[in-house]
Amino acid sequence: MQLFYMYRHYIVTFFLFLLITGISLVFRQELEMTNIILIHLLPVIVIALRGEWIATFITTTASIALLALYAPPTLSFIVHEMIYIWSFIIFYIVGYTITFQARKIHANSVKEILYNTLSHDLKTPLSSIMGNATFVVETHPLDPALRYQALAQIIESSRQMNRLINSLLDSARLKNPQTPLKNGWCDMEDLLTVALREFRRDVLHERIDYYVSSELPLFYGDSGLLMRLFVNLIDNALKYSDEEKPIKISITTTPNAFHISFSNECPPLEPTELANLFEKFYRAGNTADISGSGFGLSICRDITRAHHGTIRAYNDDHGIRIEVTLPILKRPASLKMDTL
Amino acid sequence: MKPHQLILIVEDDEAISRLLQLSFKQLGHKTLLAKDRQNALREIQTRNPDIILLDLGLPDGDGKELIKTVRALLSIPIIVVSARSDEEEIIAALDAGADDYVTKPFSTNELLARVRSTQRRFMMHHSSDSLITCNDITIDVENFSALKGDQPLKLTPTEFNLLKYFVLHRNQVLTHGKILKEVWGIAYEYEMQYLRTYVNALRKKIETNTTSPLYIQTELGIGYRFICTTPN
Repeated sequence: MQLFYMYRHYIVTFFLFLLITGISLVFRQELEMTNIILIHLLPVIVIALRGEWIATFITTTASIALLALYAPPTLSFIVHEMIYIWSFIIFYIVGYTITFQARKIHANSVKEILYNTLSHDLKTPLSSIMGNATFVVETHPLDPALRYQALAQIIESSRQMNRLINSLLDSARLKNPQTPLKNGWCDMEDLLTVALREFRRDVLHERIDYYVSSELPLFYGDSGLLMRLFVNLIDNALKYSDEEKPIKISITTTPNAFHISFSNECPPLEPTELANLFEKFYRAGNTADISGSGFGLSICRDITRAHHGTIRAYNDDHGIRIEVTLPILKRPASLKMDTL
Repeated sequence: MKPHQLILIVEDDEAISRLLQLSFKQLGHKTLLAKDRQNALREIQTRNPDIILLDLGLPDGDGKELIKTVRALLSIPIIVVSARSDEEEIIAALDAGADDYVTKPFSTNELLARVRSTQRRFMMHHSSDSLITCNDITIDVENFSALKGDQPLKLTPTEFNLLKYFVLHRNQVLTHGKILKEVWGIAYEYEMQYLRTYVNALRKKIETNTTSPLYIQTELGIGYRFICTTPN
């Protein structure tokens, strides 16, 4: 089903071509060449609205090839009259103009979603900060426990805001091809430790249950980004699981790759939801009330891709498991180690 | 930290400088404020502060130059305050002679802890004792031996030198380059793989849990800090 949905435009176009070919064959005499040319423009427009250059090129070429079959001499791709060549050129011009415009509109709508999501995600912790601070200043709560609660919430919300801003900075860095990765030798266990420090200890409680293979080799990558990968995965696991339920983390290696897996307990997701989890601004359907955005996991995907790896989500026995596989592209040189 | 100290805050952002002034006044210290390099230099020369808190992003130029100038004149603790993702800047500031750093946003607790530990270090007398201790670790510089609790640690010569360097520079941020130069030699300044491998090996021997290490803390992108909670 999901595959059909993804390629629905191409399926529609294929049937359009079938229909047009049928009409053109049956009503060849009544319609005349001009109208047959015009109806062949239809699939070009449908695909061009998708805003993809290659798709437009393929569809336009297919449409022209079919037209060339009808143009005399019929059933050959040879065209004698110059006038058809002009029509073909106009086909390409129409296709590309629509593609260009569609891309512009698409870029604007992405920007709009970005602004909406960002303002929402920044405003949520900000309103918590403002609300709690105003509460402490204006109502002077006498109960120290109450005061502590409000202040602790301010700290947690500021941390949340800080994480989001850092993710945005990373995302901007990954989007810009001019800034290459700051690659170096990384100790994955160490990066996980640093990532865990970003969270308040009482938020993590005793929930983190990790397994790190004892003979983990060094990994050649961008330590800052890999640390953010861990932070975002922890953040995600905390947000989308029931409180008090454990979060399992494991880092292991095979001869050619690092395998990082994060599991948290929650109700299973639909297959389409699993596949869309890493798309920007996607939020699993049943989670409308959860603060945060689809931003975190899309950055995880960007960071993984920047290291030529893959990231996937699975439904596990009790919840969701996210698995990151990072290929080992550079191996540490054997060092001159001293002995006891 | 002794009471009634004079703290120079070099910061152009008003919200941050007000917060810093408030926190230090609360503890009974006096603060001076300079919004740029020029004023900072004047205050340093006329008022002789006990500590300098320096924001690296000053409007009239490079904070590193100020660090070098101060270092040439006086021996007072300098703590750098910097924005995240300025790792190169922080390393350059530490190399120029700054003693420690905090990144924005920071908690005042964190900053005060850094100030205290830096000051303690400035007043510390280097003992000529061959036994150095840090929490439950004791190392004997003369006999090249180390103990954790009462168990002897089996360390290779490089691991021992690394541990010795860490313990002697306890609670201090040590850049990767500096550790490599001091422990391995100048030619090894950029050989990160050695440092990572040996830190890893050392952690396995001295830490109870390598995923939440208590001794060797990683300062991401900068270096390491060896934590000792007991006074020397």
